[in-house]
Amino acid sequence: MNTTHVGQRTEQAAIEAINLCKSFRTPVVAGGKFAGVRSLFSREYKVKEAVQDIGFTVKSGEFVGYIGPNGAGKSTTIKMLTGILHPSSGSVRLAGVDPHTDRRRCASKIGVVFGQRSQLWWDLPVKDSYDILAHMYGVSDKDKNRRLDEFAGLLDLNEFWDTPVRKLSLGQRMRADIAAAMLHDPELLFLDEPTIGLDVNAKRNIRGFLKVLNEQFGKTILLTTHDMDDIEQLCRRVMVIGGGRLTFDGTTEELRRKIGLPTQIKVTYRDGYRLPEERLLSIHVVELGEHTLTVGVNRQKTRTMDILRELGHWGEIDDVEMHEPDFEEIIRQVYM
Amino acid sequence: MTQSTQMPNRTNRAIRRYIKLYLLLIRTSIRSRMQYRFNFALGSILAALIQLSEFLMVAIVLAKFGAVQGWSVYEIGYLFAVMTFSKTLYRTFGDEVHHLESYLVEGELDQLLTKPLPVLLSLMPRSFRLMLGEVIQGTAIMIWAFGGMLGSGQITWWAIPQTVFAILTGAVVLFAIGLATATCGFWTTRISMLQNMTEDAAQTAARYPLTLYPNWMGGLLLTAIPVGLVNYLPALYILRGELGIWVFPLLAAAACLALLLALRFWTFGMSKYQSTGS
Repeated sequence: MNTTHVGQRTEQAAIEAINLCKSFRTPVVAGGKFAGVRSLFSREYKVKEAVQDIGFTVKSGEFVGYIGPNGAGKSTTIKMLTGILHPSSGSVRLAGVDPHTDRRRCASKIGVVFGQRSQLWWDLPVKDSYDILAHMYGVSDKDKNRRLDEFAGLLDLNEFWDTPVRKLSLGQRMRADIAAAMLHDPELLFLDEPTIGLDVNAKRNIRGFLKVLNEQFGKTILLTTHDMDDIEQLCRRVMVIGGGRLTFDGTTEELRRKIGLPTQIKVTYRDGYRLPEERLLSIHVVELGEHTLTVGVNRQKTRTMDILRELGHWGEIDDVEMHEPDFEEIIRQVYM
Repeated sequence: MTQSTQMPNRTNRAIRRYIKLYLLLIRTSIRSRMQYRFNFALGSILAALIQLSEFLMVAIVLAKFGAVQGWSVYEIGYLFAVMTFSKTLYRTFGDEVHHLESYLVEGELDQLLTKPLPVLLSLMPRSFRLMLGEVIQGTAIMIWAFGGMLGSGQITWWAIPQTVFAILTGAVVLFAIGLATATCGFWTTRISMLQNMTEDAAQTAARYPLTLYPNWMGGLLLTAIPVGLVNYLPALYILRGELGIWVFPLLAAAACLALLLALRFWTFGMSKYQSTGS
């Protein structure tokens, strides 16, 4: 595989989002009779700012994770980037092309996978879907067969080649869908929750393929997910969206450092405890009980053994419970 | 300069590619249906029987009264069969347009916006529907009606190409009505109630001569929801020698106009969809 062409390409951003805003207007209707009919003629609107002033640049060859809780504006952003929705203000450039004035030209340069939906033909065998898609994108038979051969090896497509799509398992369908999105060899791949609902094996398989696409084929990938493992294993860069705004944009290491992974430790003392005047800076008290004490510690900065030794000085320890922060908590931390 | 000469070429290539795509879809759809041959055969026979019994209901009423406002039972059969053929043609290719509601409700339309084709052209090949039952029914009634009218000398063999023409323009008209109705879904999301009116009820109404209805309604079925253009208007000339040969250019022009207006409306609705989202 040719991996040098990334550097040779002219220095143009793969994705450029400039001051993207999107607000939705929904008619306001007081309850009562004929509410549904009245909503058609209602003049009052409630405006919801789904995405506010988001701007970023993704360079060619990057693998970016785009995360945030449900309703934060992830999907809206992806839809604006891929030309499905027009932004209320601001603009998007994909390799220099505006997907809103030039949607069809952009469409042939990007691959899009929605984890919750399939672009394959429900009643047709998988291979027939590929034939139709190849015609849609003007891919020659030779190119199509060559790419499918490659993908089939990487994604084990052969086991369900002749099966109608509706009979595929979720994991098989997702593999088939990702291959479909890559059939016209786009430079840019957008994946909206590609691992949602999959088991561990299927997730591993898909991550492996995405890694190959990025590292060996030099594809630029932007993916949204709720699975922190996707981010840790695949993305060098993470963007976090919360309440429609970009609250973090940096490497995964920076994200981890910024959050400082506050592990919560709940200590139960046999005969109560005594808080010293001076304590290690990295230990902060979260909750004081009669016999129990909850502290938050930064395990990046201090070794766990040191913390436990310190806590041991405060009283006789009966029991220790450690609680690692989960993904939602990490994101909540990033908002602040 | 060179660009302007390349443009028609490129458009030509795109059109040829699209036709190829569609043929491929037809082939693969037939093949996948044939995997469940028994299912398909049974479904087709049932559909044909249901359709035939619908006509029999009409025929029984007609047999009782002899004729409806001077229209013989053969003529009514002709109206019925032309409508069936036009509708079958429309639904064979445009079934997904008729089912746009499910795309809007489930957000599947987003998927189509990521394709390098106009949305309507990505929507239509999502399915190709084989409607053998309707074809059997239409053919059976048409042969019977033609036989009767040829036998009595009311029409000549010339009626056949004329009827084919009417069926084709009729299919375009029905498609335009379906498209315009579906487009309303961009504002209302739910369109099945509206479809009951503009498609199902209107098509059923046009199985009878429009003189049966009050004037305002007949007028409505020739203009606002022009299902009368599908079978009634051509039948006036082909079967009864009323109007004139100009009926055919009129039908072609009306079908083109209806399609153009519906496409305009669709494009407008699509732009609304893209700016509001789901």
